[in-house]
Amino acid sequence: MRTKLAVVLAGAGMLLAAAPVWAHHAFAAEFDEKRPLKLQGVVTKWELVNPHSWIHLEVKGPDGKVTQWMVEGGSPNSLFRNGFTKESLPEGTEIIVEGYRAKDGADRAVGANLTYAKDGKRLFMGGSAPGAGGDGK
Amino acid sequence: MKRLIVGSRMAPIAIVALMLAPVFAHAQVTAKPAAAAKAWTMPRTPDGHADLQGVYSNAQTIPVARPANLGSKEFYTEADRIASAQAAAARAGRTAANDPEGGALAVHYDTSQFGLGGPTVKRAASLRTSIITGPEGRVPALTPEAQKRGADRRAFQQEHQWDSAQTRPLGERCITWGFEGPPMMPVGYNSTLQIVQGQGTVAILQEMIHDVRIIPTDGRPHAPSVIRPWMGDSRGHWEGDTLVVETINYNPQVTIQGGIVSDAAKVTERFTRIDADTVQYQFTVDDPKTFVKPFSGEYNMIHIDGPIYEYACHEANYGMANNLSGARATEKK
Amino acid sequence: MQIQSGKSRSRWGTWLFVGMAGAALFSLAVMPTAAQAPAYKAPRTKDGKPNLNGIWQALNEANWDLRPHAASQGPVYSLGAAYSAPAGLGVVEGGEIPYKPEAAAKQKENYANRLKLDPEIKCYMGGVPRSTYMPYPFQIVQGTDTIMIVYEYAGAVRVVNMKAPTKAPADSWMGWSNGRWEGESLVVDVTSLNDQTWFDRAGNWHSDALHVIERYTAIGPDALQYEATIDDPKVFTRQWKISMPLYRRLEKNAQILEYKCVEFAEEVLYGHLRKQPIQGKGDSK
Repeated sequence: MRTKLAVVLAGAGMLLAAAPVWAHHAFAAEFDEKRPLKLQGVVTKWELVNPHSWIHLEVKGPDGKVTQWMVEGGSPNSLFRNGFTKESLPEGTEIIVEGYRAKDGADRAVGANLTYAKDGKRLFMGGSAPGAGGDGK
Repeated sequence: MKRLIVGSRMAPIAIVALMLAPVFAHAQVTAKPAAAAKAWTMPRTPDGHADLQGVYSNAQTIPVARPANLGSKEFYTEADRIASAQAAAARAGRTAANDPEGGALAVHYDTSQFGLGGPTVKRAASLRTSIITGPEGRVPALTPEAQKRGADRRAFQQEHQWDSAQTRPLGERCITWGFEGPPMMPVGYNSTLQIVQGQGTVAILQEMIHDVRIIPTDGRPHAPSVIRPWMGDSRGHWEGDTLVVETINYNPQVTIQGGIVSDAAKVTERFTRIDADTVQYQFTVDDPKTFVKPFSGEYNMIHIDGPIYEYACHEANYGMANNLSGARATEKK
Repeated sequence: MQIQSGKSRSRWGTWLFVGMAGAALFSLAVMPTAAQAPAYKAPRTKDGKPNLNGIWQALNEANWDLRPHAASQGPVYSLGAAYSAPAGLGVVEGGEIPYKPEAAAKQKENYANRLKLDPEIKCYMGGVPRSTYMPYPFQIVQGTDTIMIVYEYAGAVRVVNMKAPTKAPADSWMGWSNGRWEGESLVVDVTSLNDQTWFDRAGNWHSDALHVIERYTAIGPDALQYEATIDDPKVFTRQWKISMPLYRRLEKNAQILEYKCVEFAEEVLYGHLRKQPIQGKGDSK
């Protein structure tokens, strides 16, 4: 039963052919799946904007060099609906970002998984198992 | 026996569409008559019309089109629903069709971390097998003319999709996601709207993309047809306690359920409050130059506490510059 | 009435005179003088509130520059007189915007770079109060617990909460509006505005500490008086206030038309990332 479900799952998404096919490539155009990365840094700013929120991160390299990164996340509106506010990720918080680097080589990434450096807990919601609610993982 | 078979066939569909227990706590079941604990009377605005005002979630547990294997079955039985709910993984409300970001991709943020489309979203439960009603439950075929329109556009996009901002999809440009319609369709996340009734006007604010439909109900004619808004031109009137809205003159770039609309497109919507927390939403799409016949749909929207949060989109659309920049960088390789 | 002449007025006559004089004085006291003419009272909605439903628009030069200003050359020569600033008497009470010195310098810098920096050119929402007096109409949809203000420019919208005030989780372009009635006036308290908007095309600016209190008061059947008190301790030395009439759009079947405007700003924002430059790119189309 489970295998059958898993197999059909991939096809189930094809049911509804409403979206134009070219709309599916935006993320792949922006970020490079061949360049996964892991960043650890300090939050300098949290832009609670749409269509994607952005965490600005100051990352100190092993050589001591400091780089400013921008990490793309989801729409903050659901976070607001669940009680989060702009105070929920204060400046100075140290976090770890696992994600993918920007295709144009800039210091920009999409944050596929965000955790607190101090205890490894996931940021915001998403207490469920990895992949649940996330797409394509 | 029959139930089991139906249950197992339905399960994959259910994975796409159905939600688990948290939904049912807030659910309104459309097919059952309300065995309600307390009677309610229709609330009215000061001018005597039915009061539709409030903040709503129109997120759904049902797909737009009926799974093919269900044939003409328009409603699940109670047993079907329980079986499929048990089988369904708690997949988010986002599907390939209602995803503003264009579907599931490995290179992506984790939507569950942002509470998007997941179990915390209030959805009207329903025993319907699809939003589209009727024996087929699917969008009708496109006319040959509409197929050609679509083919021409796809051909153009193949060549030019990364040329400029203007050749990107309307959603990526932050102009319209398409779910605003009308007909208004559930979105994979932030599927919320607010209705305010003023004098001779009903305003409907849809959170994405902060689009407001201002619907005059004072009997005035449509605007001149040379004016083609993204959400068309709407006029409303009351039939008893039902608000009926007719919309025409869509921008020619607009698509409705996969069909690029023509100048003959007309969408009719009906809003009826059916209890203290629920507004029933029905629509009919009639575009004889695009679809071989009209089609209709129905779903319920349920009251949530709100408020609607600003979804500014264009103002912080870094993605557009990033995408084009990425496309230019890729070309250089 | 008869006033008896002669030296010896009868007591009757005197009292009558006093009574009438008193009556005249009394009626003078209760009759409103010209300086105290009763304020206009707007017709009421069915729930007893001043009826502000309708489509309104400012008719002044505030969007060019809130302050009194001379006519001046616009930032694009080829647009000539079609996009140069007309003179304006100003809408700021007292005429001056009380900038801190370094903030005043930033306004001048904004002005010098307005073609690049003015958010209006990019189709970014106008914020508060600028959205009120941009050269586009807006509509007030007056519900019972909520008033929606819908602006034609960029399809911006404000949802004014008329129940107990609430707080915003974060800043936004159009801010967070809590409203109440004070007699004839709709008073709206606007907080949590981001720092991205300007007050006008002249680069008058504010920080994210901006706090605006608006008053909308009917002054006739087809006009409102709009006042906005501006408070931003990071930028200004004190509060200041703007004031202007707003006029009802009286055309039959007047409606807010769509001016999404994103499609008109894309070339400005993303033209440099095109695959191929547009033929004849620049000011002509």
